[in-house]
Parts: sequence; C-alpha cells; structure tokens
Amino acid sequence: MAPRASAVPHRLGGTLAYAAFALLAAVLAGALPLSGYALNILMQATTYAVSVIGLTVVLGLCGQINLAQAAFFGIGAYAVGLGTTAWGLDFWLCLGLGLGAALVLGGALGASTLRLGGHYLAMVTISFQQILTLVLVNWIPVTRGPDGVPGILRPAGLADGQRYLAFCILALAAVAYAVWRMPDTRLGRAMRAVRDNELAAGVVGVDVYRTKILAFAIGALLAGLGGGLFAGGFAYISPDQFTFAESVVFLTMALLGGVGSPAGAVIGTALLILLPEWLRFMKEIPGLYLALYGLAVILIIIFMPVGIWGFVGARLARFRKAAPAPDRAGDLVLARAAPGPHPALEVVGLAKHFGGLKAVDAIDFAVARGGVHALIGPNGSGKTTTLNLLSGLYVPTAGRIRIDGRDVTGLPPHARAAVGLGRTFQNIRLFRSMTALDNVIVGAERPDNPAGLADAGALEARARAALAFVGLEDRADEPVASFSYGHQRLVEIARALAGNPVLLLLDEPAAGLNASEKVALTALLRRMTAKGLTILIIDHDMTLVRDVADRITVLNFGRRIADGDAAAVLREPDVIAAYLGEDAGQGGAGRAEAASPRPDLAPV
Amino acid sequence: MDLVPQLLFTGIGIGAVYALVALGFVLIFRATNVVNFAQGEFSMVAAFLMVVFAVDLGWPYWLSFLAALGGMAVLGALFNLGVYYPLRHRSYLPVIISTIGASILLANTTLALYGPQPQVLPGWFETQGILAGGVFFDSQYLLIIGVTAVLVAFQYWFFEHTLVGKKLQATSQDKEMASLLGIPVAGMIMLTFVYSAVLGGIAGILVAPVLFVSIGMGSTIALKAFAATIIGGFGDVTGAIVGGLALGVIETFGAAYISVPYKDALGFLVLVVFLVVRPQGLFGERVAEKA
Amino acid sequence: MNVTRRAVLRGAGLSMAGIAGLAPTRAAFAAGDATVRVGMVLPVTGPGADAGRFALGGAKLALDAVNKAGGVLGKPLELVTEDDQTTNPGAVLAFSKLASQPDIVAFLGSIRSTQNHAMAPDILKAAKPVCFGGTDPTLTHLGNPWLFRFRPNDTYSARVIADYGIGTLGKKKWAVVHSTDAFGTSGAKALTEALGKAGATVALDQGYANQSQDFTPVVLAIRQAGVEVIGSYFTFENDLGIFARQLRQLGVAVPWVGSPSITNVTALKLAGPALYGTFGVADYAEDASDASRAFSKLYRDAYKLEPDNQSSWTFDAVTVLARAINAAGKTEPGAIREALLAVKGVPGAEGTYSFDGNGDGLHGYNVVRNDKGKMSFAKRVDFQD
Repeated sequence: MAPRASAVPHRLGGTLAYAAFALLAAVLAGALPLSGYALNILMQATTYAVSVIGLTVVLGLCGQINLAQAAFFGIGAYAVGLGTTAWGLDFWLCLGLGLGAALVLGGALGASTLRLGGHYLAMVTISFQQILTLVLVNWIPVTRGPDGVPGILRPAGLADGQRYLAFCILALAAVAYAVWRMPDTRLGRAMRAVRDNELAAGVVGVDVYRTKILAFAIGALLAGLGGGLFAGGFAYISPDQFTFAESVVFLTMALLGGVGSPAGAVIGTALLILLPEWLRFMKEIPGLYLALYGLAVILIIIFMPVGIWGFVGARLARFRKAAPAPDRAGDLVLARAAPGPHPALEVVGLAKHFGGLKAVDAIDFAVARGGVHALIGPNGSGKTTTLNLLSGLYVPTAGRIRIDGRDVTGLPPHARAAVGLGRTFQNIRLFRSMTALDNVIVGAERPDNPAGLADAGALEARARAALAFVGLEDRADEPVASFSYGHQRLVEIARALAGNPVLLLLDEPAAGLNASEKVALTALLRRMTAKGLTILIIDHDMTLVRDVADRITVLNFGRRIADGDAAAVLREPDVIAAYLGEDAGQGGAGRAEAASPRPDLAPV
Repeated sequence: MDLVPQLLFTGIGIGAVYALVALGFVLIFRATNVVNFAQGEFSMVAAFLMVVFAVDLGWPYWLSFLAALGGMAVLGALFNLGVYYPLRHRSYLPVIISTIGASILLANTTLALYGPQPQVLPGWFETQGILAGGVFFDSQYLLIIGVTAVLVAFQYWFFEHTLVGKKLQATSQDKEMASLLGIPVAGMIMLTFVYSAVLGGIAGILVAPVLFVSIGMGSTIALKAFAATIIGGFGDVTGAIVGGLALGVIETFGAAYISVPYKDALGFLVLVVFLVVRPQGLFGERVAEKA
Repeated sequence: MNVTRRAVLRGAGLSMAGIAGLAPTRAAFAAGDATVRVGMVLPVTGPGADAGRFALGGAKLALDAVNKAGGVLGKPLELVTEDDQTTNPGAVLAFSKLASQPDIVAFLGSIRSTQNHAMAPDILKAAKPVCFGGTDPTLTHLGNPWLFRFRPNDTYSARVIADYGIGTLGKKKWAVVHSTDAFGTSGAKALTEALGKAGATVALDQGYANQSQDFTPVVLAIRQAGVEVIGSYFTFENDLGIFARQLRQLGVAVPWVGSPSITNVTALKLAGPALYGTFGVADYAEDASDASRAFSKLYRDAYKLEPDNQSSWTFDAVTVLARAINAAGKTEPGAIREALLAVKGVPGAEGTYSFDGNGDGLHGYNVVRNDKGKMSFAKRVDFQD
C-alpha cells in the first residue's frame, strides 16, 4: 500500500489553521446562498467522504480489503432512517445506535474472517454485503423493504438543509483530523506494522489479529457515521443505495484520491461525485460514461498507484522544511532482569513434525542468563524450525518452552514478545514504508516493556537511544527502505533492543554482511552482552560463533547432538563429523535451509 | 409428485454453469495468484458476440461459436496486456481493483455498443428438452452438463499429460523457478488468460439461451462461481467443479424448501460458514502445515 | 425484421426525431421568444436507459404536437432533460439540478417509484408540479401536493387483475408470483387484498429476488399448490421470460394474468411462445380508445416502433400539462397545480384523465391478451374510487 505521503502536522499552529479552515468551510456552507443542486452534491460528497475515510483506516493504514463499506454505510443510514421515523427516537440516539451497530457488526465480521486475509477477506465482505442487501429488501416488517424509508428527520436545530450541511462538514473535518493523526498513535503504528509485515509485527509484540479487528471496526464505524449523516441529509433511503456497486464506488474513491491519507479520501470522493455531473454531456450514449470510468480506474491503478493525493503529496514534501534536529539521544538502558532461579530460556522435549518429517525431534536445551548462546547445525538440521517454534510462528508437536520461567508454549507471537522475547529475521523483516525511527518505536511499544514508557516523548527518546546504540542515530528519520542491507539489519536489531527483551533471538545476523560489517556486528554483540543482555544466535558463520558464543547447542537431523561450553562443543567428534559430512565451516552461510519451511510462508 | 429429481437436475445444470466459470477463475488464480473480477464479463461479451454472429449476421451456429471463441481469445490476450501485465509485480490488491475496473469497462462498452435491451440467443437444439419420468430435462442444461464434463476431462489431460500443460503448472507453482528452467513465464501467463477467457466465453454462450443475453448476466454468475471456488478450495480444479455443483444444488433446494427470495443469501451464507469453519475449502490443500 | 438492427435503428430514429421534431416548431414562433420550460428526469445511463429512451420519445411527440398547436401561453414549450443514472441518488441530483433553474415551471418525474420517493423531499421544497409514472400507491398519499400520477397506481392494476381473473375467467384459487422489489411487493399486497375482498383464495404467495436465474422451485410450488390461475408482478423481462418458459416446460397450463411487464415488447421477444395465451393488464393498449389509437399512429410514424406504456405516459403527461398551463393562463406553480386538479374527463393514450384530490389521474386498466405474440385488447376496467 501507499506510504503515507507526509508527516503529520505536529505543530499547534497547523492544527489551529486546520480548525479555522474547517470552521470557515462550515460557516460558508451555512451562510452562502446554495441552490438545491449544490446543496445535494455537497451533502452527498461530505457524507460519502466520511465513509471513504473509513477505508483509509482499513485499507490505507492496515492493508485489509473491505468490499462491504456500503453495507456499513447502510447500517448507519437505516438506524437513523428507521429510528427517527418508525421508532420515533431522537436523531442523536439513532446515530449512536447506528454507530454501535456498525462497530459491532464490523468487529464481528472482522473477528470471524480476518485470520484469512487477502482474497478470502474480499469474498467474505462481498458475501456480507449481498446478505445485508437481501435482508434490507426482504425483511419488510422491519426494514420497510424495497420501498425504502421516507420522511427521515434531522436533529432539532439543524432542520435547515444548509445548517445540517455545515454540521456534516464539521463532522467530516473532525473525522479527517482524527484519522490524519492516527498513523502516529500506538494503534496507528501497529496498523502500519501489520500492513507492512504481519509476521514481524506479531514478533515485536503487536497483536496482529486484534489490530486488524480494530481497524475493521473503526472503518465500519466511520461508514456508519457517514451513512447516518447521509440519511438525515436526504430524508429518504432505500436498499438500492447500499449495494455492492456502491461499495466498489467507495473503494474507487479511496484509491483514486490516495488511500494513504484522509485528504486523499476527500479528494477522491469529491472527484467521483463531481465527475458524473461534469460528464453529463456524454449521456447521449448509454454506458459511455461508465465505460470511461472503468478505464480510468485501470489507468489510475497502473499509473498513479498512490492516488492523486499520494502523487501530489510526494511532490509537496520536497518543499517542506526539514524538522529541527532532535536532542542527542541518551544512552540505551537495557533493564537487567532480576537474577532469578530460572534460565532465560528453557526448552524441554520440543518437537515439530511435518507429516512424516521430524524437523525437530524432542530437543532439550537451556539458555542461561547473560552472554551469547549459539544454536548451530548443518543445513536442514532444524535450526530455523526451532527458532520459529520459539517465537510462536509454529505450534510444536510436543514439548514445552519456558521464557524467564514462564511457560509460553501455547502463546501467540505477540504474547511471547510481551513476556520478553525479541527476535530478528534471517531475511530482514522491517516495516518498509516507515522511517527507521517509527520501526524502532513499534519495537519500544511492546507490551509490558519494563522501560515503562509513559508518553510519546519517552517512547521516541527510547527509540532514538536504541538507534544510537547501533550507530544509526543520524538516519533515524529516513525511510527504512532506503537503507543498505547491513543497516537494515541494524535497524532490526535496534527494534528488538528498544523492547527491552529478556532474550534476543538473532537468526543468522551475519548472513549477507561483508567482512567489515561482520567485524562491526561482532563488536555490537559484545556491547549488547556487556549491558547484560541474553542472546540466542543462530548462524552458519563459525568464525562469528567462535568469537562471540559462550555456550553452543548443536542440532543435526532435528536432534540435539551436542550442548555445552563453546570450546568443548566445537571439539566434539560428532559435531566435527556432522559439519564435515555435510557442509563444513561456513560454506552454507546465507542459504536458506532446504528442509525448513521459509519463514515468510509460515502460517501463524 | 416428487420434486427432488427435478430440483436435482436443475440444480446440477445451474451448478455446471457456475463450475465452468469457476474453472476460469481457478486457472487465472493458479497462474497469477489474482482473482479476476471480470471473469463474468468474459461470459457476457462472448454471449453478445454470439448474438452478433449467429443472429444479426446469420452465420451458421458452429461458425459463430468458433468466431466468438476466437474473439474471446483476443480479448483474453488484451486483458492480460492491459489489465494484469503492468501490475504483475504489485500486490494482489491493485490487481483486484484493476480487474473490477475492467469489469465496469467491458460491461459498459457493451452497453454503449449494443444498448441495454436483453437479447435472445437460440439454443443448439431445436427441441427445448425431454420429459422423462415426470422430470423435464432441458436440452440446454443437458448440453451444459455434458460440455462441463468434457472440458474438465480435457483440462485434466492437458495439465497432466502435455508439455505445455506441465509448463503451465510449473509456472503457477513457482514463477522464479519456472523461468530459471527456461519456461517463458510471460507467455504461459498469456496463455492462461487466453484459455480462461475462452472458457468463460463457452460458459456464457452455453448459458445464454437459458438466461438470455444481458449486460448483467456475467456479474451474477461470476459472483456465484467465485463462491463456488472458495467452497471447493481456492486453486483446486476438482474443488471448483464440486463447489459449483454443490452451490447450484444448495440454491435450488434452498429455494424450494427454505425461501425463494433468500436463495442467493443462502449461497453466500454457506460460503461464509465455509470460510469460518473450513477456510481451505472442500479440496484445498491443508493451509496449516507443510506436507 | 432483424432484432438488433431494429434496436440500432430505433436509437438513431429517436434522436433524429428529436432534432427534426424541434426544428420546425421553433420556426412557428417569433424569433427570440422565451420558451416555457419543463424539466424531465429520465434514465439515460444504467439499467433503465432503454426505458429512458422510450420515455423521451413519447414526451417529444407530445411536445411537437403542443408546439404545432401554438405552444403554451403563446410560447413554445421546451423540454430540459437530466440523467438519473437509474439510481436514487442520481435522481435526486438530476431533479435538484433542474429545480435550481428558476424558469422551469413543472417537471416530469420518474417511472420508478423509489426514485420518486427519493426526490419527494426536494419536490416539496421546489414547490412545483411533478408528473410521474411510478405506480406505488403511497406516492400520492405522502401529503406532498405537487405529485401528479399519469399512470394508474398498483391498487388498480391489482383490482383489475383480480376482477378479470375472478369475474371474466371465473377462477377462484390463485397463485401470486412477484418480485420482492418495491414494485412487486406493493403490487402483490394490493392483489392479495383485492382477491380477499372478492372472496378468492391465495393458495400460494411467492416472492423472488430480481435477476433470479432459475424458477424451477417456484414453478414446482405452483404445480403442487394446484392453483387455477396465476397473478404476477414481474419487474425485469428476463426474469419473466425464464419463468414463463419453465412454467410451460414443467407443464403448468393454467391461465395467467400478469402486471404490465407481461405485455411489453422486450418480454414478448424474450419469452416468445411461452407467453402465448396469457393476459396482462396494460395501462396502454393500442385499441383501447380513439386517443390511444391516435398516439399509436403518431409513434409508429415517427419511430417505426411498437408503442408501449413507457412512452404513452410521458406523451400524456406533456399533453395534459400543456393543457393545464394554458388553462391556468400563467406559469405560477400553484395555478398549474389547481389546473391539473381540475382536469376531468380528458382523453389520453393511457385512458381518460380525471385527477382526484391525491393527484391520481387514472383509475383503471386495460386487459390485453397475447395472441401468438400480438397484443389484442380484451377489456377496459375502470373504477370510480
């Protein structure tokens, strides 16, 4: 999905200017003499835009498709429509009911299907959309059926069309502002992390499933709000206004304007409502206008992937002043776990079978507190499978895993992060559309971070300190996609460090690094252990392992063949045989392990 | 009089249509990992081509049929070049939107060229069908069921026993590996789109005498066919066939014994239940663990 | 004649006629004369585009006739159209765009009831007469004084279907088949009421969703219910065609009296022989009266097409509206409204217009019979209330 085009206006001045602008727009809408035509167009654009901003959250921030936005729009509209007419309730109460219904249904729909994602999600939302339309049409005693609901009331004091429009504009402005600020909230960062890399998001402590449900529910909520306002605005609603075709229109509006920002949503909505009005001259040939519309959709997707606002915003960003340099970062403090009776990690009888293949076969080992523990073995020995079992990406066939004395065997990845497990990936998994700083902030936000980061300032300071620790402080505000491979690896380590892990898993950190980068990595590992961190490292690079590891566990064919003091283990004949027989020394560095599933394909 | 045999026949007939369109979905999905939301419009366009050739120009039925399928092959190629190919390196989302745009484009271009009136396309056979044992066997549905069976057999043979078929399979499984093996991946994908458009076209032409030829005919069928592919397990040919037949039968019996107006909802409800309870579908490979 | 070529010719014919129709009438008035403008909301895009073309064709014929006869208030009448895209929001925008032009004195609304519902609040605000064709009975009971219906509403179609089936055909045991959309449900409700009043029984009341691909379960249910006659409200011709064919295939041969869609040109073409021998109520029937024959001749001459209700109501609406404006002697909306309400016994293509206080102009239907694809007039049924 499109990266966010620009930074958020943190400064108070910008916010005030925005508020003043919104107020002015509302006052003008209320005071200027508007024709009925203009009023209707503005009313439609304003209420639709609220709903389209809902897609900015679901699709833009969280990367989940929703082809039922018109259904949620309809739920809000029917709550207000039926509420103010059939049930004789107050407008505000009805609007609240509609919001509640949209939120609950959106959350429920999300909860039942968001584990699937992708095309499945597209299909489920279409199904929901179709079922809702059929219910609206056929459940006549409640919904009034296809005749629709006429005579919908507006709230007292806003009965006049233009005053109501002014109110809708203020509502839109408020919603747009909230969503504009959302990317830099904890939830917003979590959504972006999920969008960019679900697997990594889970491992750094983001509850992926919950985040998606929240995004879906917020998107539905905004659609419901738009729908409720729409019903009041037009005083009549009928089921054919909330069909799948309208959902496609909402989606197109979002994509056309740019799904990354509420500004894009407003632009897209305005354009797609005005365009048919401007193109009315084409009406002589039925279908021509819509055919061009379809063509435009394809062309926009191909040539303007970030939408109009994304396109314009990227050009505007060049002229923006650079933010003042922040204070020098402080020293990174890693909370030393209280020396307890438990080792940092305990693995007992851990096994993972894929069909008949015993990728990991009843292994035991423990990682003592402090220092570097290496897990090595030839290709296909089960190292990466073990790592995926440890971080919760696989469910073990048998055995227990304890971190800091707590049994985490049944916990999902984000809950393990909360207990204190951090990790990096062999094939780097960063949140590619975000800055290095934002990446590390997501890491710092891991639940139960003992650093106890109360406010945004502390969070940012922590993240900067972590970046400084790996030597990338100066590039904190650059998008991580522009970093070299080696630097991306360092950002990934910083992201894990910011979360103050009890145990840090490093999956082949030396893979793909050149000689000087490897030397720097060795130094970095030493500095980390000097701060009392416990590290479990997996690597093929025997030089690195020899240099940094205090203890070593060796796997071969899924079984543990050696475990103990580093120097002693490396002298054991079994270990030497295993390496010489298969793949001596560092020959296999950087290659994927043949028998282990690629972690990026791993279902959670 | 017993309703079941008649309902079963109709259900299977309709299900065969869904299955035929679903086959096209599955092929494109396997080759490109993309759901083609314009698959239904392939059927619609083919039916209109058939009306132009067989009714307006008065060509013989078989010649019109071949010409229409030729037209579909061209459309499939253009579709690949214009709608899919420029987006092949992007995620599934832009491609979905692009195919939705293509579906709007195709439907409304047809509308602009041919007008909104539904058209009549005569069937292959003079007779409407045969009445046997109190069950009316619609000749067109019999034909659809037969053609579906033949196409499924052909597809099986093609993919399992021909070199091109095997190359197509390799492409759909791992594009990188396929291109390393010297398989022309772009060409294979082109072939998939062409074949898939022809397949959709056959479905459209066969179903046109029953449902008439209208602009909206494709989207309704496609949505059902899409549901069928999911019930069957995405990307699985057997699944698409069984899913399509199952959906047709469920709808028909649901309409007869539960509710006519809600029969479409019933199909989608079954789909949602499937997605929640058994997301891998009837025949889909087990998602959870590596074999 | 070849079907498609006819469709193409018809399109060309209509637009040619539009241009040709307007040119000579302009010359009949002094140059620079202001016109009396009437707005018209019609579908030009979307699924209703076909109907929109017919509607415009009918309206333009009447416009031509009015202007040849001297126009209104000595000025030429002019039609200003806006596309409603066959959607409700589209209709609202189209109407409000027209309503924002202050020199438009009256409007032609939609043939679709929900669109008229959607436009109703704006119509009330605009406070100018709107002639519409939607047949949902509630539209003239909204308390909106500006709505004037130029087709008989569904209570009449239902009463005529019931009257004909029970009175003329002598059938008491009914199956009611209807679309679950606005039009179908309101029609079926009215039919069930009318049948109940007349002492007939409804053995089967079967709704279906539009664009159903199969009616086997419906037909089987009809067969099982053992009904003597079918009353139907179908919205889309392809649904009607599939149902008719499956009805015949599965051997149901009872009489069938359908709502107006059973008589329209597209339905006849799609269903073909499956509809032979059926009855339909039609607000427009060619042989119902002198006025309807006259309209038919005009329409055939202009467009080389069979006329139907989609063009007859707009023809009548423009004709009667022009007459009312002339009767009012001014274009003030209130005066036009009063003049429309005063229209009594004015013959039109659809029937004889006598507006009641609600704004309903017609109170009855024709019954026609499908004789091997040709519609033949069977009976006119009018009600006093």
